[in-house]
Amino acid sequence: MSQKLDVVQILLLILGGVPTTLSISLFSFLMGVAIGIPLSFAKTYGGKFPQILVDGYEKIFRGIPELVLLLMFYFGIGYYIPTPFKNAFFTGIFVLGLRSAANQSQVYRGAIRGIGEDQMIVARSLGLSKLLSIVYVMIPQVFMFSTPGLGSEYALLIKDSAYLFFLPGITEMLEIANGIRKATGVTTTPYLIAAFLYILLTFPIATWLDKWGSRKKKQLGM
Amino acid sequence: MNIVIECQNLWKIYGKIVAVKNVSLKVSEGEIKLLFGPSGSGKSTFLRCLAMLTTPTKGEVFLRGEQLTKENAELDKARARIGFVFQHIWLFRHLTAVGNVELGLKRVLKLPRQKAKERAMKALREVRMEDWANHHPAQLSGGQQQRVGIARALAMEPDIMLLDEPTSALDPELTGEVIDTLRDLAKKGMTMLIVSHEMPFAREVAEEMIFFDEGTVIEKGEPERFFTNPRSERAQKFMARLIKRTRRE
Ligand SMILES: Nc1ncnc2c1ncn2[C@@H]1O[C@H](COP(=O)(O)OP(=O)(O)OP(=O)(O)O)[C@@H](O)[C@H]1O
Ligand SMILES: [Mg+2]
Repeated sequence: MSQKLDVVQILLLILGGVPTTLSISLFSFLMGVAIGIPLSFAKTYGGKFPQILVDGYEKIFRGIPELVLLLMFYFGIGYYIPTPFKNAFFTGIFVLGLRSAANQSQVYRGAIRGIGEDQMIVARSLGLSKLLSIVYVMIPQVFMFSTPGLGSEYALLIKDSAYLFFLPGITEMLEIANGIRKATGVTTTPYLIAAFLYILLTFPIATWLDKWGSRKKKQLGM
Repeated sequence: MNIVIECQNLWKIYGKIVAVKNVSLKVSEGEIKLLFGPSGSGKSTFLRCLAMLTTPTKGEVFLRGEQLTKENAELDKARARIGFVFQHIWLFRHLTAVGNVELGLKRVLKLPRQKAKERAMKALREVRMEDWANHHPAQLSGGQQQRVGIARALAMEPDIMLLDEPTSALDPELTGEVIDTLRDLAKKGMTMLIVSHEMPFAREVAEEMIFFDEGTVIEKGEPERFFTNPRSERAQKFMARLIKRTRRE
């Protein structure tokens, strides 16, 4: 198939990859929240042993290139445990989520420091356990203190979703752009359009998150 | 008389700093005691040890005869029965005034929504803050914030209130409203241990005044004696300075 495509047709084709790109980023971001929050509190309030564990986790997942992790999980671990790791969509989200958790844990830890000890002391003085204090007093404030760090993390995930290009069977934006180049021989336009869409997907949301956090903090006098 | 809170030979040591040095003290049902002394003398640290917000290095604390300084003591339950008001106010910044007061009622006492709300509003009424129930701390003045802090402790219906310099973070013109609130509590017979340098108020409500310096009790006795003729030289000097400052204000 070597038909000629105009810009609009290319754009429409690549737009078809947006749901995949977005859902990979969104799910791995949420997984990062679900794991990153407990990690950050374990490292802040846990004893020596949890601290060492979290530290090790962060070093590993921040240190190894995500492409290595992706191929390792998909081909390596997937060879022995095909369900679910031979599912590229799952493994992509899983790996990006683990990596994001390591990043987010650091972001949240900064936020916990920013909130200060006092909120925890007051909660404990009312008779709340450590866990309840974290859930009802710390976590709601942690998110306000974590923007813009969370905005950058989301932007990073949108970009890194492109690594899933290297796994079979995932039609995210880069995969489609590359497919168009192969099929039509148009070498530049598909990539330019994909690049433009990546920017469009990252900055508005990251900026909005940042603004939301600043506004909230100002409103609440933090 | 029923003893509500008691400590025996309490110490708190931070590395080389001895913040609290061998303090023993009792507060009985309905009593109001007032603790005062120079900055850095360990008053806050002592109060926090009593509430087990920091673990004492040595010594014992009892709440209604139940030893808190032993392994497996149910500290969360004990803290729920001790109302603590903080020197630097410290409201939950993400919650409204009523949200601040409700939190312990809902999550510790496990009151149902409606009950918690009613009781929180009642406590806010007692400190004359019901009109501000839906405001966040950032929208309140310091005096209003501290009254919410008092309501938050009060709503738990504690056995005793420990108040750590409730007016020291406030501008002078705002201390009056908080002192009035404390006066109301005193009239209702609330058991209280108050750290304060508001001397006219102390004279009016306290059964006993305790002069604290360098982490320990230097002198204690009736307020009248402190105002007319303190026994220790340190207390004499400190009282003289305080009275001079109060006159200036
Ligand atoms: N967490 C801590 N770590 C180390 N030292 C501490 C700690 N908390 C208090 N201290 C020290 O203990 C001493 C007593 O402090 P504390 O705050 O109890 O005094 P205070 O009488 O309440 O003073 P103020 O009137 O200024 O509130 C001080 O020397 C202080 O630096
Ligand atoms: Mg103090």
